[in-house]
Amino acid sequence: MNLWESIVTSWQTLYTNKLRSALTILGIVIGVSAVVFLVSFGRGHEANVTAIFESMGANAIYITSATSMTAGLGGATGSLTIEDAEALANSNRAPSIDVVAPMIEKMGKVIYGNENRTVDIIGVTPEIAQAISYPVAEGEFISEDDVRRRTDVALLGSKTASDLFGTANPLGEIIRVSGRKFEIIGVLEEKGAMFGAADDFVMIPLTTMQSRILGQTTARGRPVQTIGVTAVSTDQIDAAREQISSILRQRHHIREGEDDDFVVIDMQEIINRMHEVLGIFQVFIGSVGAISLLVGGIGIMNIMLVSVTERTREIGIRKAVGAKRQDILRQFLIEAAMLSLSGGVIGLTIALIGTVLVTGVELGAYSVKAPLSIDIAIIALSVAIFVGLASGIYPAYRAARLDPIESLRHE
Amino acid sequence: MINLENITKIYKIGDVQVVAVNGITCHIETGEMVSIMGPSGSGKSTLMNLIGCLDTPTSGIYKLGGMDVSRLTENELADIRNKKIGFVFQSFNLLPRATAVTNVELPLVYSGVRNKRQRAMEALESVGMANRASHRPTEISGGEQQRVAIARALVNNPSLILADEPTGNVDTQTSKGIMAVLQQLNRQGITIIIVTHEEDIADYTQRTIHLRDGQIVNEKKR
Repeated sequence: MNLWESIVTSWQTLYTNKLRSALTILGIVIGVSAVVFLVSFGRGHEANVTAIFESMGANAIYITSATSMTAGLGGATGSLTIEDAEALANSNRAPSIDVVAPMIEKMGKVIYGNENRTVDIIGVTPEIAQAISYPVAEGEFISEDDVRRRTDVALLGSKTASDLFGTANPLGEIIRVSGRKFEIIGVLEEKGAMFGAADDFVMIPLTTMQSRILGQTTARGRPVQTIGVTAVSTDQIDAAREQISSILRQRHHIREGEDDDFVVIDMQEIINRMHEVLGIFQVFIGSVGAISLLVGGIGIMNIMLVSVTERTREIGIRKAVGAKRQDILRQFLIEAAMLSLSGGVIGLTIALIGTVLVTGVELGAYSVKAPLSIDIAIIALSVAIFVGLASGIYPAYRAARLDPIESLRHE
Repeated sequence: MINLENITKIYKIGDVQVVAVNGITCHIETGEMVSIMGPSGSGKSTLMNLIGCLDTPTSGIYKLGGMDVSRLTENELADIRNKKIGFVFQSFNLLPRATAVTNVELPLVYSGVRNKRQRAMEALESVGMANRASHRPTEISGGEQQRVAIARALVNNPSLILADEPTGNVDTQTSKGIMAVLQQLNRQGITIIIVTHEEDIADYTQRTIHLRDGQIVNEKKR
């Protein structure tokens, strides 16, 4: 019996039992479609998030005080000061550093007319626009002059703007921020809701924030919460980190062997950590898929065993007219393989349709990407076929070993 | 054609040994048409299975066409069944979901010939069933099913056809037709052995072997 005839015979048998075959392969269909779709989706998501982080500056480095990391968003209570930021901006001492953007964040109340919102209030310098790309949609950004003169001007995040003003133009309007009047000079472009309240904030000049809102100074100078820094290029990130470390340790009088009182994290590190987290997620998805395929395989084995019992007489007839053990073995193995292969192909098709359907769906400013991962598709299909063959081995072996005389007597 | 020398078949059922065939010696010539009769439990089915190479004897020598087949492997026996022997069963044993012509093709599938459909149609033609080629077994009468089964038995040009109660499931009129087909095949030179308990059927054959308790008790030539 040649292979093609075995395939045709197997197909006829499976086709005759359409409903049973369909139910048998359901586990494989679900396993393959789930793994391929979710991994494709996860990878699309990963690529999206990476792109968003990189748009925030692939060369960005963030410095926060070690204490403020544990104290939370309690204002500028840490060890960093605006003087630290000025020192880092000195290109003779820190040649790998491009832009330095100190900032302070504090949750606070913003009032316009009857509208009342609690948002993130961020004290910034103009450099922030370069360190993290924050394009202005309308109006202008905070200027050097605003910082020097501690003016009461504010920029709104797009969500804050629409919350307070709806569709009206906020430019030139006066709002109250923590009880103080500010004139709105600009609205920022929508950035997307990747990090919670990314578009829900008010930016004011750093100096105004320090003196008018917080009113804090320390022995070392005027405190800031975070210093955003960019390296001159991606390959200068490590050098920039070393320069930051040595300048700040010297300024903070930290002796050899003592721990830093600040934390430095760069965008590459953030992206790497994110990849790690998403990687764990992918392994998790893979395990769920593997379990589903295993269950699917058991389903195939179960049905194949039933099929062998049901077709005992057929096996007897085939053996009587000259079928050898290997002929029967092959026929049942091919049936199992065809079941799992069709399950795999249907699963892949569903996954493909799923990825096409979700691609381009807008979740706020976030547009879903889910390109079908070919490698995972191939792996899932191979595993499905392997599972089918493995579950077919025992039933096929039982069928092949049947005694022709006994089988012919079977009712 | 068939030389059985002191053939014994013992089955073990649990701890009990059952001697189904007890030292049978028998010769059947090429082109003979022989019937085997005996009460149930006399060993005639076991003898058929042995002659049909579905089973091997516990002891003794079985030569089929001069070749000792009593010690062959399972695969070698399958090959002999495929190429030299055709089976006709009481309950027809056709594949229920396959058409008549597909059923007839079945032995050819395992011998790997090319023009299966053509040969299957010729076999159906010779038993007068060409017009039923695309019918399934459930769509035709018992007599017609048995003719299809005979076509399957002869499709690979065997030298021996074994028929186990071939008329057991059909009426008398149909029996005559089936026996006529078998006689016609015998005239073409095929050796035919029929197991039956009906004297009428045995009358069609040239020789009847009577079995009892696994032994030959009587042989009658006509």
